[in-house]
Amino acid sequence: MAFSWVNTVFSNKKPVPPPVLAPTPERENKPPPQESFIKLSSGSMAEPPPPTQPSAPPKEPERRIINPPVLTDESEQSSWSDEITIKARVEKDPLTCTFLVDRPVFEGHSAWFPTSDSDSESPLAQSIFEVKEVCSLLFLDSTISVTRSGSSERKWEEIAKDIGSKVRSHLKSGASVISDEFLTRIPTEEEMREKIQFVIDDEINPGIAAHSGNITLENLTGNTVTISMGGGCQGCAASTITLREGIHKAFRDAVPEIGAILDETDHTAGTNPFFKELPEELKAHAQG
Amino acid sequence: MPKVDSFQIKIKTGQNGRATPPVFKINGFELPFEDSEGGLGSGETFTGKGSPQSMAHSLHLVGPGEGEWDTEETTITYQCSGEEPYTVRLGSVTLDSDSDMNIWHERPLPVFDV
Repeated sequence: MAFSWVNTVFSNKKPVPPPVLAPTPERENKPPPQESFIKLSSGSMAEPPPPTQPSAPPKEPERRIINPPVLTDESEQSSWSDEITIKARVEKDPLTCTFLVDRPVFEGHSAWFPTSDSDSESPLAQSIFEVKEVCSLLFLDSTISVTRSGSSERKWEEIAKDIGSKVRSHLKSGASVISDEFLTRIPTEEEMREKIQFVIDDEINPGIAAHSGNITLENLTGNTVTISMGGGCQGCAASTITLREGIHKAFRDAVPEIGAILDETDHTAGTNPFFKELPEELKAHAQG
Repeated sequence: MPKVDSFQIKIKTGQNGRATPPVFKINGFELPFEDSEGGLGSGETFTGKGSPQSMAHSLHLVGPGEGEWDTEETTITYQCSGEEPYTVRLGSVTLDSDSDMNIWHERPLPVFDV
């Protein structure tokens, strides 16, 4: 027990001497154990030994958490046919639907169209924006992420069929997805990395430091940026708002040609994250 | 985040098996599997049940005390409070004494053809 010497020194009880151990080869070579508290109790006023701090319980080393891939029936299908298969998945944010195409839509790069006015460099985006509910688009490899307006009465099932048929007919036609001018305007990865790192160091991290949060640029491929959120942001319920309102805007202001911004943080990791599903009122705020 | 009443787990071991019975951690607390059957040797299949009765902030399959353990495929059926059960299949991983596998997955979002 910690501080046991205090009780022994100032109590009237006779201290119990340590048990006498039979000599063993190991013990014989060791110096005798220190018995200072026993000597003190016999009347000496010599300084007691410095109190030992209560020892903290041993901290368990941090363990690696491995996230295995989730297997789906689609992930095991390897057959390739001429018929273009498109599947739609309504995301947790009910105004967003991701279209999964069985072949690349825009390989190597990504493209972000925040409004229907921004589609002039993409014949495919122009075609999709003809569906009146569509608000914004993101092309990334073989996926198209579509955000719709919340005012329409049509359900995603209906809207998604319209979008699916436009994507299918465009890809079948062989027409380009994005103009060559757009591709030539994209800065080099090195230039983009430099600008984004500057925004992170100079603007974003100082801003979220008050919440003990930080973000790290993990990867940049083509014009697709991957970040991770650490510290106070990792398990934070409001990290989606930080991502959309702060990080997206700051990155796109610095490099307008950025396509997808991916967050690879596992916001539910750790033994006790405080991540929770965003409440409806915050979801609405996050969507702007 | 739903409350996980219980879950059934089926683990198919790959090349390297493990000698000790597996355990899981719910929010950092280690618990044994109930109704365990089968084996964890190379190529064997183990089934068991966990009854966390708790919100799953984290749910991990704990790695072996020593050596490596290859899990070829893990199938988990979750029974969450007031919900229909759902199943998630996970691909292969190799666990060791310093690593755990995340076995908590929310209900997959429905996908439809367009």
